[in-house]
Amino acid sequence: MELFCLGLNHRTAPVEVREKFAVGNTQLGQTAHEMVRLAEASEAVVISTCNRTEFYFAAENAEIAFQLIESRLSEKTQLDPEINSHFYRKSKFDAARHLCNVVCGLDSMMLGETEIFGQVKQAYRSALDAGATGIVLNKLFQRVFGIGKKVRTETSIQEGSTSVGNVAVDLAEKIFGHLKNSEVMILGAGEMSRITAQSLVSRGAKSIFVANRSFDRAQELATEMGGSAVRFDDWQNVLKRVDVVISSTGAPHAIVNRADVELARRARKYRPLFFIDIAVPRDIDPEVGEIEEVYLYDIDTLEQLAEEARERRHLQIEECQRIIDLELVKTHLPGI
Amino acid sequence: MGMDRSFLIASSLFALVGAAWGMWAVHQGKRSPWTVAWILGAFLCQIGFLSVRGQSRAACPLHDAGEILTFLAWSLTLFYLLVGPAYRISLLGVFTAPVVVTFQGLALLPGVLTQPPQPIAGGNAWHETHSAMSVLAYGALALAAVAGVMFLVLDRQLKEHHLKSGLFRNLPPVRELLTSLLRLLWLGGILLTVGIIAGFLMPHTASAWAHLIAAVAVWIAYVVLLTVKQVRGLTGRRLSLAAVLLFALSLAVFAFV
Repeated sequence: MELFCLGLNHRTAPVEVREKFAVGNTQLGQTAHEMVRLAEASEAVVISTCNRTEFYFAAENAEIAFQLIESRLSEKTQLDPEINSHFYRKSKFDAARHLCNVVCGLDSMMLGETEIFGQVKQAYRSALDAGATGIVLNKLFQRVFGIGKKVRTETSIQEGSTSVGNVAVDLAEKIFGHLKNSEVMILGAGEMSRITAQSLVSRGAKSIFVANRSFDRAQELATEMGGSAVRFDDWQNVLKRVDVVISSTGAPHAIVNRADVELARRARKYRPLFFIDIAVPRDIDPEVGEIEEVYLYDIDTLEQLAEEARERRHLQIEECQRIIDLELVKTHLPGI
Repeated sequence: MGMDRSFLIASSLFALVGAAWGMWAVHQGKRSPWTVAWILGAFLCQIGFLSVRGQSRAACPLHDAGEILTFLAWSLTLFYLLVGPAYRISLLGVFTAPVVVTFQGLALLPGVLTQPPQPIAGGNAWHETHSAMSVLAYGALALAAVAGVMFLVLDRQLKEHHLKSGLFRNLPPVRELLTSLLRLLWLGGILLTVGIIAGFLMPHTASAWAHLIAAVAVWIAYVVLLTVKQVRGLTGRRLSLAAVLLFALSLAVFAFV
């Protein structure tokens, strides 16, 4: 019995091809069962996320099974046979190693992301429940989950935030701890501030205030996020109560000056205040950052922190591969 | 070597290992779940020391500089064990342990601990209450100062955008630190109040009056700090600096008065 894998991902196929092969979460088990029949294999697991669709098989003859599955997939999706060029084929040890890379987030668009671990677990569970797995794939997946945990524990592959939004949210948590008692004000209803504010809300921020020159747009965004709209002339009053200010207006000059913040300090009883300035040109005068209880981060600083985290993760790849190879060699899995 | 001294050395070693272990973990960017265990070991040995000295004295062991320093270290450790794990601020232990080692190291210097300790005749309950409550208060205020130092480190790192160190990753959030600091100041203030009231009720010698006046001055300074924080508000930096400076000042005052 041989282990092999057929798949496509964000590196090998554009979205218009990937979407043809995408499988919904509720269909994973049934599709795995169907794949066993199509490939004349003994076992199959189907992994499908927004960036990849992969089929893992155990069959007597991998070469025959590859040919069968490729031709049948082309027929089934009614796509040009050239579509096969988007697929990668891996067998035995390479297939097991690739699955480890996927589970550890080494093959993800965002290096080291953790969501993929749960998605692969769900895919395996669906195939198992559908009766599409056997001794080869059961042993492989169980071992790979163990290796995935070891890699995440022993390396820094998932440490640090790699996007501006997540860096801002992590900083907010470093300042305020749980965000459930924190209030947020958005100045300017741009896309970046919406994304960052949503991240804060998803981590429990208590309430959101939106101030925008167009009050209608402020109301629209406030409704979308379950917050309150504020007239733009009124943001100084709201400053007295909030903990985090996210600013991304299109103003050609600073709109938050030191004097504005100084006026609110007494009413705030000098509580910590976190400013996230993601506008270019900057909305917040750098002098605001000199106020004792103010923590000011602009887009360049946030980008730099995200980039440093990405670099730190890249430096971990070699160590992750070393652990994966060592662990795979140590365990004698059937089919590889 | 007496049993009391052995307990004190063991306690100092536990705290030293806890500090070194914790610092190593911080340097590696990890949390050290063992810090609390090492400090618990130090705490149990402190209890051993205080029990032996208490039995010898037949009174609360606060009758020489070594006993006062050890009682202070015990009080600091006690409040860390009450506050630290509850607020999941294990790093507080890493900052607390060196202070404990320093206090106990000073107590172990030749001549600081009276050997052998003589029983105290004609003890007074108000005097004992005054001493015990005051030293307990300074334990809480010492821990507030430790939390203040932690805040100042974190504040500087956040202000200057130096966010890569293991220390930064392990420090608790700003708001949690400030909340703990303020609660410890209140607790220390309340205990100090009880200690001072007991001080007025105990029999006085001329030197005791000077000591009591110094204690009242320290108490007033803390009351002013807490009142300003409560009524007007204070930045985290000023509150922390005040907690550190007031504690250092009060220790200096008592070293000379």
